[in-house]
Amino acid sequence: VAGEAGGEAMRAIEEEVRRRVAVLSWRGLLSLGDRAASYGRRSSLWPMQFGLACCAIEMIATAASRFDLARFGSDIFRGSPRQADLMIISGTVTKKMAPVIVRLYDQMAEPKYVMSMGACANGGGPFKEGYNVVSGIDEFLPVDVYVRGCPPTPQALLHGLMELQKRIDGESFIKAWHLRKRPEVPPPVAGPDLVDLRQLPEIRDGLSRSLPQRLKAPKEAPSLRPPAAVTESATGGAVVTARDQRAHEVLASFGAKPAGGAFLVPAARWTEAAVALRDTQGYDYLANLTAADYEGSIEAVYHLYRTKDAGPALAVKVRADRNDPEVPSVTPVWPGAALQEREVFDMFGMRFRGHPGLKRILTWDGFSGWPLRKDFMEPYYDEPRKPYSTRWREGHWVAAEERNRWRRNVLYPADWDPDSLPPSRPCAPECDTELEDDRRLLVSLGPQHPSTHGVFQMRVLLEGERIVDLEPVFGYLHRSHEKLGERNAWLMNMPYTDRLDYFCSMSNNLAYATAVEKLCGMKVPERAEYIRVMMAELTRILNHFMSVGFLLNELGAMFTPMLYALEEREIILDLFEMASGSRMMCNYMRFSGVSADLPAEFMPLFSRLVTERLPRAIEHMDGFLTRSDLVMDRMRGIGVLTPEKAVAWSASGPVLRASGVKYDVRRAEPYSIYDRFEFEVPTYPNGDAYDRYRIRIAEMWQSLRILEQVLKGFPGPGPVVERNQYSIRPPEGEVYHRCENPKGELGFYLVSDGSANPYRYHVRAPSFVNLTALSEMCRGHLLADAVAVLGSLDVMMGEVDR
Amino acid sequence: VRVLGLETARGLLLTLRHFLRTYVVGARRSLGMRAPGKEGPGSAGIVTVQYPEERRENPERFRVLPVLLYEEETGEVRCTACGICARVCPPQCIWIVQAKGADGKARPKPEEYLVETNVCMNCGMCAEFCPFDAVRMDNRYELAERERRPGDVMRLTDLMVSTRYWARSHPVAWASMEEQRRIRAAAKAVPRGGGLTPPSSGVQTPKSPA
Repeated sequence: VAGEAGGEAMRAIEEEVRRRVAVLSWRGLLSLGDRAASYGRRSSLWPMQFGLACCAIEMIATAASRFDLARFGSDIFRGSPRQADLMIISGTVTKKMAPVIVRLYDQMAEPKYVMSMGACANGGGPFKEGYNVVSGIDEFLPVDVYVRGCPPTPQALLHGLMELQKRIDGESFIKAWHLRKRPEVPPPVAGPDLVDLRQLPEIRDGLSRSLPQRLKAPKEAPSLRPPAAVTESATGGAVVTARDQRAHEVLASFGAKPAGGAFLVPAARWTEAAVALRDTQGYDYLANLTAADYEGSIEAVYHLYRTKDAGPALAVKVRADRNDPEVPSVTPVWPGAALQEREVFDMFGMRFRGHPGLKRILTWDGFSGWPLRKDFMEPYYDEPRKPYSTRWREGHWVAAEERNRWRRNVLYPADWDPDSLPPSRPCAPECDTELEDDRRLLVSLGPQHPSTHGVFQMRVLLEGERIVDLEPVFGYLHRSHEKLGERNAWLMNMPYTDRLDYFCSMSNNLAYATAVEKLCGMKVPERAEYIRVMMAELTRILNHFMSVGFLLNELGAMFTPMLYALEEREIILDLFEMASGSRMMCNYMRFSGVSADLPAEFMPLFSRLVTERLPRAIEHMDGFLTRSDLVMDRMRGIGVLTPEKAVAWSASGPVLRASGVKYDVRRAEPYSIYDRFEFEVPTYPNGDAYDRYRIRIAEMWQSLRILEQVLKGFPGPGPVVERNQYSIRPPEGEVYHRCENPKGELGFYLVSDGSANPYRYHVRAPSFVNLTALSEMCRGHLLADAVAVLGSLDVMMGEVDR
Repeated sequence: VRVLGLETARGLLLTLRHFLRTYVVGARRSLGMRAPGKEGPGSAGIVTVQYPEERRENPERFRVLPVLLYEEETGEVRCTACGICARVCPPQCIWIVQAKGADGKARPKPEEYLVETNVCMNCGMCAEFCPFDAVRMDNRYELAERERRPGDVMRLTDLMVSTRYWARSHPVAWASMEEQRRIRAAAKAVPRGGGLTPPSSGVQTPKSPA
């Protein structure tokens, strides 16, 4: 019996050998070659160093020590597409970025693979309805693997990589890549909307025959409401302090009248009034500038502060005719308005007389329409307000693509002539720019550049190595956050705020929650307040670790300090994940509380983190970097921002404090329970990149101090939310609320018309406004220093472009 | 006093120390002295998770995509097609068709329930506000696929998981959910005016911190 079994086993082995090892035919020989080639190829996939949005952060985390992409042979992210064979589309593909991506893909050598990471790259994601979002990269590139999740965790990405490896294993040498005809994809062109050149004949035909582009006409168009009425009483019913009283008197002398919680200044006298406010009343800091679209008029809204003392904002409005909106620019008075005015122009079509360079900023020149006007309807426009009536009871699914003639998220003006389209160029348009001085050179850094913190572009005019001028180019990650925000119900915006500054989802949540609470006058239970402060300060530490890591990366300390920073990030994220369920996109805060109490195992871990691990880690970072020759040599005296300039350019957060201005929203206008904690507002005097680095280390220590107090005073069990409703209707009115986020002042300007959706939802993003001074800071420095300056500003593109 | 190059040398020494420590950690690990991925707030550094041979233990609340629970014993879907999940969903990726009886009247069952996973932002609000404990967040994350369609749209049959499956991966939440259900059932049994009051809709009772 034993012999028989042995014989069977032998036969089985023989069979196995014949099948897998022995080479008995030409075909077998070839397949052996196949396997060797595939093995080599799949075990050395080199991804391109290329990140788009939130998912890119998880991609970086995957490459770091905890998940270690190198174990799969995908060691180093390649800075150049020519050295890479794997493109991980990590994040939202915007219409502005899509041509760049296709161009990069075309430069990669065969065989090349594409991995689509996250819901946005797979199919548009939560931003699918947005007017600047491509619904899936597969419209342009042949995708090999789709990784689900929003965002996929590092392990999910690794699973995707293994799936790709399996796919490569199945490839055959006989049907090798170089024999395969791959259809050439021309980079799409940004016309009045994104144009896929392969569709051009179809578009030409459709437009000439005036075929409807929306296959299903929208049931209801968005409606405009009248602007707030002008009241005759001096203060508009609000209780004002003596300080406000004087400012109001000054404004009143220019003919201003109160309206809807703000002062309405006549456009003709606004410049004079602004100068008077700045010079006689000390309103030296323009925090926020935006607009709102009303029936018959568009209102520009300004929120002003005094950096010398604490207190709430002075809100000023200037009204302009909706058909031809124009107001005087305040850029000469407050230079910090420069980018914000451009944004208002881009979104509302409002012109600012006297602005030095008024042009589109988030979309591109030639884009058709003013997106944030209420009557602007995107290609996938469904209904004016969420929830949509098509989703429930008779929710027969129709993909958004099906409702559009071009099966894309595009819509062209009826009178547009497709032949007027500029031809697709081999490189970006600025290459064609003629320079009058031939000693000068125009260099484009980004939007795909290892040192630009994501999809950010700097057009740098050089004379030798010196920067003569620098122009930041935005919008490569413009995901129509505000347009979506005005269609969402109030609570629906909460998870969207996670995706603003994707390092700081907890603080973004806090800022939005407190803003709406201010609007509604809600109360928050004690325990929830403590949890909120705890999460916000943990976020600050996490963000500052990462900002230091990224900064060093950009100085050339490739990846090492960042790996240390990412270790601490992982540990903090573990706690976030434990409490909220997600590492990055926490969606943890609710109006009047937080979504769930901390799990039982949380506090012991938190306590050890605060008392043991974090102090050690900060000291480590401080001890090894702060006195380092390289760090000091590269950063001291670079990108100096004097206190006066910092205030004038509306810098906020660490950038402002590194210039010696002691201003912290947590102290100037305390929110949540920050007034109960003891902490200092550290400042440094020089305002250079080195001080901006040091301020972050100092702030981490202060955050730790707050966390220790949170630990000490943490209240016992109790409710963590007053009333968790999914639909709220705040009273009619408006609010500008700001929080001291790790990157600076994050403000929300919200207008409620008493309904379940915000009428106006504006995010004053610290990263965006901090970039206003970038050109100023870089001029005269070397090209390499521009990167250091950008790193020291610590920007996050999700928040810059929104 | 600043000695040129000293700080750089210190930095390099740190890297060397870190490099050597990996061997110590590795040796301890191969001896089974430390569970993988258990480094944490008290320790220094971080240990690599050897995915796919080992997986990081995700916390219970970890969420990816929504699922619909059905009763293990009866096979009955808990969902009543009330539509709250579709109404709270921020990107509006949930589509529900309510079932109709032979008489044409609506019945409290979903005929079709569909989630566009390429739109879903994994926020978990559908589960948070589901009054019938029917929509819950699943923790499966290994969801990579080679084709976009049709896997990007999850239909009723793809979404259904048994209560036992979910209870196994979410023991704490399951226990508190059952507790709440019992209280509600008891309140229903007691005639009006006495006993416990059911939690009013819209108010989420905090999960007990144990």
